[in-house]
Amino acid sequence: MERLPGWLRQHLAALRAVAVLTLILGALYPLAVTGVAQALFNGNANGSLIEKDGRTVGSSIIGQLFTDGDGNAIPRYFQSRPSAAGDGYDPLSTSASNLGPEDVVDTLATDGDEGRQSLLTLVCARSKAAGELEGVSGARPYCTSDGVGAVLKVFPDRAVSVNQACPAAPFVTVYQGLPVQCATPGEDYAAGRTVPVRGDAPAPAVPGDAVTASGSGLDPHVSVAYARLQAPRVAKERGLPLDQVLTLVGEHTTNRALGFMGQPAVNVLELNLALDGG
Amino acid sequence: MSQTAAGIIFIASLILAIALVHKPLGDYMARVYTGLRHNRVERLVYRLVGVRPDAEQRWGVYARSLLAFSLISILVVYGLQRLQDKLFLSLGFAPVPDHVAWNTAISFVTNTNWQAYSGESTMGHLVQMAGLAVQNFVSAAVGMAVAVALIRGFARRGSETVGNFWVDLVRGSLRILLPIAFVGALVLVAGGLVQNFTGPHEITTLTGGVQNLTGGPVAGQEAIKELGTNGGGFYNTNSSHPFENATTWTNWFEIFLILVIPFALPRAFGRMVGQLRQGYAIVAVMATLAVLSVVLLNVFELAGNATVPQAIGAAMEGKEVRFGASNSATFAAATTLTSTGAVNSFHDSFTPLGGMMTLLNMMLGEVAPGGVGAGLYGMLILAVITVFVAGLMVGRTPEYLGKRIGAREMKLASLYFLVTPVLVLTGTAVAMANEAGLAAMLNNGPHGFSEILYAFTSASNNNGSAFGGVTVNTPWYDVALGLCMVLGRFLPIIFVLALAGSLAAQKPVPASAGTLPTHRPQFVGLVVGVTIIVVALTFLPALALGPLAEGIH
Amino acid sequence: MSAQTLEAPQAPRRVGGGLLDPRQLLASLPDAARKLNPATLWRNPVMFIVEVGAAATTILAFTDPSFFAWAIAVWLWLTTLFANLAEAVAEGRGKAQAATLRAAKRDTTARRLRARTGFDWDQVGATELRQGDFVVVEAGEIIPGDGDVVEGIASVDESAITGESAPVIRESGGDRSAVTGGTKVLSDRIVVQITQKPGESFIDRMIALVEGANRQKTPNEIALNILLAALTIIFLVTTITMQPMAIYAKAVNPGVADSLALTADGVSGVVLISLLVCLIPTTIGALLSAIGIAGMDRLVQRNVLAMSGRAVEAAGDVSTLLLDKTGTITLGNRQAADFMPAPGANHGELAAAAQLASLADETPEGRSIVVYAKETYGLRERAPGELTHAHWVPFTAQTRMSGVDVDGRQVRKGAATAVMKWIREHGGHPTEQVGHLVDGVSASGGTPLVVGEVADGKARVLGVIHLKDVVKQGMRERFDEMRRMGIRTVMITGDNPLTAKAIADEAGVDDFLAEATPEDKLALIKKEQEGGRLVAMTGDGTNDAPALAQADVGVAMNTGTSAAKEAGNMVDLDSNPTKLIEIVEIGKQLLITRGALTTFSIANDIAKYFAIIPAMFAAVYPGLDALNVMRLASPQSAILAAVIFNAIVIVALIPLALRGVRYRPSSASKLLSRNLYLYGVGGIVAPFAGIKLIDLLIQFLPGMS
Repeated sequence: MERLPGWLRQHLAALRAVAVLTLILGALYPLAVTGVAQALFNGNANGSLIEKDGRTVGSSIIGQLFTDGDGNAIPRYFQSRPSAAGDGYDPLSTSASNLGPEDVVDTLATDGDEGRQSLLTLVCARSKAAGELEGVSGARPYCTSDGVGAVLKVFPDRAVSVNQACPAAPFVTVYQGLPVQCATPGEDYAAGRTVPVRGDAPAPAVPGDAVTASGSGLDPHVSVAYARLQAPRVAKERGLPLDQVLTLVGEHTTNRALGFMGQPAVNVLELNLALDGG
Repeated sequence: MSQTAAGIIFIASLILAIALVHKPLGDYMARVYTGLRHNRVERLVYRLVGVRPDAEQRWGVYARSLLAFSLISILVVYGLQRLQDKLFLSLGFAPVPDHVAWNTAISFVTNTNWQAYSGESTMGHLVQMAGLAVQNFVSAAVGMAVAVALIRGFARRGSETVGNFWVDLVRGSLRILLPIAFVGALVLVAGGLVQNFTGPHEITTLTGGVQNLTGGPVAGQEAIKELGTNGGGFYNTNSSHPFENATTWTNWFEIFLILVIPFALPRAFGRMVGQLRQGYAIVAVMATLAVLSVVLLNVFELAGNATVPQAIGAAMEGKEVRFGASNSATFAAATTLTSTGAVNSFHDSFTPLGGMMTLLNMMLGEVAPGGVGAGLYGMLILAVITVFVAGLMVGRTPEYLGKRIGAREMKLASLYFLVTPVLVLTGTAVAMANEAGLAAMLNNGPHGFSEILYAFTSASNNNGSAFGGVTVNTPWYDVALGLCMVLGRFLPIIFVLALAGSLAAQKPVPASAGTLPTHRPQFVGLVVGVTIIVVALTFLPALALGPLAEGIH
Repeated sequence: MSAQTLEAPQAPRRVGGGLLDPRQLLASLPDAARKLNPATLWRNPVMFIVEVGAAATTILAFTDPSFFAWAIAVWLWLTTLFANLAEAVAEGRGKAQAATLRAAKRDTTARRLRARTGFDWDQVGATELRQGDFVVVEAGEIIPGDGDVVEGIASVDESAITGESAPVIRESGGDRSAVTGGTKVLSDRIVVQITQKPGESFIDRMIALVEGANRQKTPNEIALNILLAALTIIFLVTTITMQPMAIYAKAVNPGVADSLALTADGVSGVVLISLLVCLIPTTIGALLSAIGIAGMDRLVQRNVLAMSGRAVEAAGDVSTLLLDKTGTITLGNRQAADFMPAPGANHGELAAAAQLASLADETPEGRSIVVYAKETYGLRERAPGELTHAHWVPFTAQTRMSGVDVDGRQVRKGAATAVMKWIREHGGHPTEQVGHLVDGVSASGGTPLVVGEVADGKARVLGVIHLKDVVKQGMRERFDEMRRMGIRTVMITGDNPLTAKAIADEAGVDDFLAEATPEDKLALIKKEQEGGRLVAMTGDGTNDAPALAQADVGVAMNTGTSAAKEAGNMVDLDSNPTKLIEIVEIGKQLLITRGALTTFSIANDIAKYFAIIPAMFAAVYPGLDALNVMRLASPQSAILAAVIFNAIVIVALIPLALRGVRYRPSSASKLLSRNLYLYGVGGIVAPFAGIKLIDLLIQFLPGMS
């Protein structure tokens, strides 16, 4: 080894170093952690699995869909948040939507193209749907009553409600003296100035987490507000007193750790299991 | 309690915890790097590697050892990915495509941990453990080694050498990172993180649907991922995934792990140069910038000032319910202020100004407090540049810790601070000027531009987080960002080591009343000011066309 | 070391400089224009980029003419011109000085001796003289070259180089042997051995120095240039890479009409160049060399010649100052400070006798006794001629006494041992108390003189005169100031440690080196340097040369030997050792000026961004108009105002660059705070006001809306 040129010796040492460190840090370390973890925190280490009737039905910390085969909400169950992981809550393709805060203009569907919904329209549509499901108003600021983003493209001579495909009626008829038209799918409105219109919607009845996708796409929780919004519907569907359902919601609410960490959250799978079990 | 109040206590509790820990940890690290004795495991390691641990290296040899180690590391991680189907624990995944493998190898060796792949559907457990997690340790140890070499440059008098790379590497890995990571991993498992060797397994959900739950040695990897400011998630959605970050308090703990070493290193610096107050000054600069950034990010996210957050009522898109907007913002600040790049919420969907803060944090050059080691040496370079201008203003040849900042020192410091802005801006410009670059945007308009800017900022600064929407898993981006990562990591390291060598060779000038004091609030304020102004001047046009254009109405 | 000056340290406490005469600006314009030549300008990369930008803008103004483009082009050229003007003005001041010097360097002829001792000589041109040649110079002739007097003594008029009209004595041997070419012998005849190489005379070097002809960049200047280059590269990258980003921004907003600043092809060339020029550190880039030249010039104005800029810079870094006691700290001669009568005599008696005995003593010490007697005892000074019968005994080195014999009374005053011996010879017996008095004076660092008389055949000691080294006024304050600046002062003296300590305490220096030999001096310097300190000293003797060479700043006195002048890196033409302190201050001021203007230059960029970015992009992203905090009238006027401000600020700062920023000795912290507020905060605020003001004026120009 001493007779090798310096640069080669260095690389040989490097190669050996990588090998030795891989052995320690890449094999011994994970094995040791796994051994101790499995011994001390067996449940956690294996995914906090939940069984029902002897059958694993999921992980208490991974969210699930409570929908039927067509993707419609099953009313007996509390519903999870919208998810961008695969077709929803798919741990094999976890994802967030990654749509931006000013993503407000849709690409309307045409014959050849299925189009693209902006984040604003997604929010508006979800709000409308949730409102209908829970029997409350789904109205939100910047949303049209038909559940798309209330956004105008303003041109010198006219304005276009760019997310409302013709023949829909634009959410306003006149904008600053300009006539407002519905949007023709396939037409390029890029040259117009984008103006989202807040409208006069009151504070929305549907909570924010009900209309947004989580970061992981596997969020096991909904907000307390969203759970309480769903409670009457679930109580009605199951023929349970509302108070009992609300009590269960309370029992499955995780408050802030130490009183200040995070936000209070309701574990949907555990809540639904408790409902099924009780 | 309101979310704001809870969020403030959350930040305060982190500050308190780090304030408590940084002294003992910093002192411990100083002892690790200055100690003369090798323990039995280390002696065995040195024998197996074939190096003499007591042989001191000149900066050039130190740098060549470091580069050799990194090159071999890249080849090994590349090989493991390309051959994973031939090896065990592959979970049946195919070999990783060449451009992804190259990008990933560089990404983990450079402590960037940019992920052009989706963990749960690409990497088998062997690659995760033996390839990626090992680099989580050693790339962090390399960063600390460089910082320590620079500290020695300041601490030594007329010395030709700056230490021994192999010793610094091994001690950093085994004596500092390994024990903390081990304890941290168990704490995380206690919080609900998984740690097993199973692959995806199918279960039937409550409603009769099918869900594939994924397993893996997650907790162990999570601990070192945060501790080493690496950030490469086991899963695609990183620390927002409940298996990587199960509860509100694991979230706190992960932020703590991210910040603990970078904030303790200045203490080790103060110890090693024999002036604790110099370390306090550095940590004060880091803390000032960090607190400013965390608070602003919280303000922007809680205010939710953009069309969609206004429609939602809160900036909750891409955020987990259990964390909420405030703790997500705090995590985002911590991960971008350090070179971690782990995310517990998706920056792409942040408010424009909140997103801009994550960008700005990285543009600071990852110094507040920055990646393990890298943050300290980056900050020391900024201190050197500040000392130069301020030193002239007191009428003396500038000196820092008694070492003169002459033409050679200035050349190296200037080269250092040129590298990342040039990479970021050139990379972004080239991407904006060609089809392959533009095609990657998910969002359009200024936000789409922000995505590209973010990608190059993240790669060049070795952060690794992403404005997730950008489709970077293309040959063009894998190569371009790979180049940014490798140049953004190793060019500065070479300049820092050269600087260390030139400083170590100097005999210190004794301090006098005419010397610029570098431990007073005055100097702290000055470094903060210089850092912000230099960054603002460099990146303002780009920011104006991205987040500012989107965020100011 | 010879005692030179008796004047107290100069009164003005701050390093100032001449004011800038507007006529100087005009006079320097042609030089400034000549400096536009890119072949010379490229050495200043920042200004070279501005010139390239100006040229490019001019071409763009031709191809796509508009008032705006032409206005920008003109102002960019002016920016370059102003930068050159700064340098030209600084050099111009030196040139005036050089002209005077050249006048002294008229073609002289030399009488070269064929042999060292002979009288035969050849008439040769001064330029033909070689090292080692011997020339003879007589009254009325100009000394043809630098050298040492090897024979004879002469009074020399050195006003050509020192500006001092009083002639000085130059003689062979000793420390006053050096003569400078170009000076004029007024009396007598001397033989001079030439020590200079042809064309490298002191005057030649002076001319080169004051003209800044082959000015080398100093270490700090190089380091600063590197920083400026790095900033320039960053801003180059920032502006160039902005183009694809701007094109994209325009492309995603197809509804926005093209503007003067931004079209589908991106930001227009003129605007992009304007932004670049505004961002790169033009202010400091333009003034950097002027600051350096002016710093040397300030030294020259104080009659100090620095052989290199490096030495001036090192002066600012000095942390140990070696000062010779005599002439620097003390007035250089001992003076009577007390009369102490012996038992049996009273003050009046002693004073009268002391005065009487000193009337014939023309040494400074003797004079000081007469003065002291007059001031303290009101004794009228009597001229020796007044006492007609008196026999005056002048002071000689052999007798070490002076005195007078009058009316049978003999009075003597002189060195203690000599007078005591004289008393004993005349049968007197000095008492023990006298011995105590003498010892007491010696112990306190003073010099005792004994006064005795022989009257009526009786010899007795009247008392002791205490002669004291008198510390110059204001020295203590000066040294306190030095301490605040972090500079340690060390007094060098040949006195014994006791005497040295007494004077050191009185003067307030930090340390002293007593009974110092040249070797001790050298050792002390090396020791200080070993500890990382920079040392400054003055010296004039040949034996000072090694120490002068070793010191980081070695100031040789012009009266000194050629060896000393060769060894030092500065020469003080006034030969005033106290000036070392001023040299240090000038060195510091030079560095501070550079630092302050760099800070100012960088701080300026913030306001320029606030002017130019909204001007470029508010059309596509109206929200960015919020950045237009100055509410500038239009994009065109905003950009033009920024460019004009950028140019005008250079001219506005020329006086500051030449004069140097105000420097008051104080601690580093205080200095930094002050300069930061002034040039950092001021640098941020000033351009906001300046650009707004210019915008208010130019918004009425055509094409500005």
